[in-house]
Amino acid sequence: MEVILFWFCGILMLFGALMTVIQRNAVVSAVWLIFAFVCAAGIFALLSAPFLAIMQILVYAGAIMVLFIFVIMMLQGPVLEDEKRSINKGLYPLIAVPPLAIIASVIGWVSNNGTQPLGDAPAEGFGTAEMVSRLLLGKYLLAFEMISIVLLVAIIGALAIAQGERKLPWK
Amino acid sequence: MEITLTHYLLLAGAVFMTGMVGFIVRRNAIVMLMCVELMLCSVNIVFAAFSRVHGDGGGHVFVLMNFAVAAAEAAIGLALLVEIYRRRRTVNVDDLKSLME
Repeated sequence: MEVILFWFCGILMLFGALMTVIQRNAVVSAVWLIFAFVCAAGIFALLSAPFLAIMQILVYAGAIMVLFIFVIMMLQGPVLEDEKRSINKGLYPLIAVPPLAIIASVIGWVSNNGTQPLGDAPAEGFGTAEMVSRLLLGKYLLAFEMISIVLLVAIIGALAIAQGERKLPWK
Repeated sequence: MEITLTHYLLLAGAVFMTGMVGFIVRRNAIVMLMCVELMLCSVNIVFAAFSRVHGDGGGHVFVLMNFAVAAAEAAIGLALLVEIYRRRRTVNVDDLKSLME
């Protein structure tokens, strides 16, 4: 069962990622990206991380992608058009070289050293909201506080940048 | 056949590579940002896989941190794009090389 689910989610996620890159229309790209993120949530569930799977759908497929699609709709017109100019088409095959080299070296490494098993099933309650929140508000409390400052700075920065030339209260 | 840690790492590597190639190939700045999100997501899979192997929840905490960083990055990046579009009427990175010239 786990094997079937892994290949199902994994191949669909890779397919969604490829379509995100290939599609010329930005909105279609965004929808394929949501598809890939939902498949990633399935991978998280397989890795006994149910809380992360839910957060992946809520935060990524929900909040972040809504932000992207809103911006695409706001800037409609030139954004939706095909990209007219691009890098020299003759260079395209060269882009495939580094990924292929890395994949070949990984396959060589795996065939020499074998694969590492996932190990025994984790303890009861692993990956649930309770375990994650105990760590987040206990051992990793400082990191949690810092990330809230990062988000605060991001909110203020985004507001200040997007206001543009319009009259600011302190000017 | 058993699904091992290597399978998850290879999947994450393939998705990361797809995002990287997309970032290089695409010229639309919004789609380039989406490719960055794709790369961040593949890193999350690696965190979760190693967390599962070691039976330690620390990886899950870092995935949540990564969610917050990705959200902050998307918000700032898109705000910059909106402002660039307002001034230059384009988000094609080929048209945005005034710093280069």
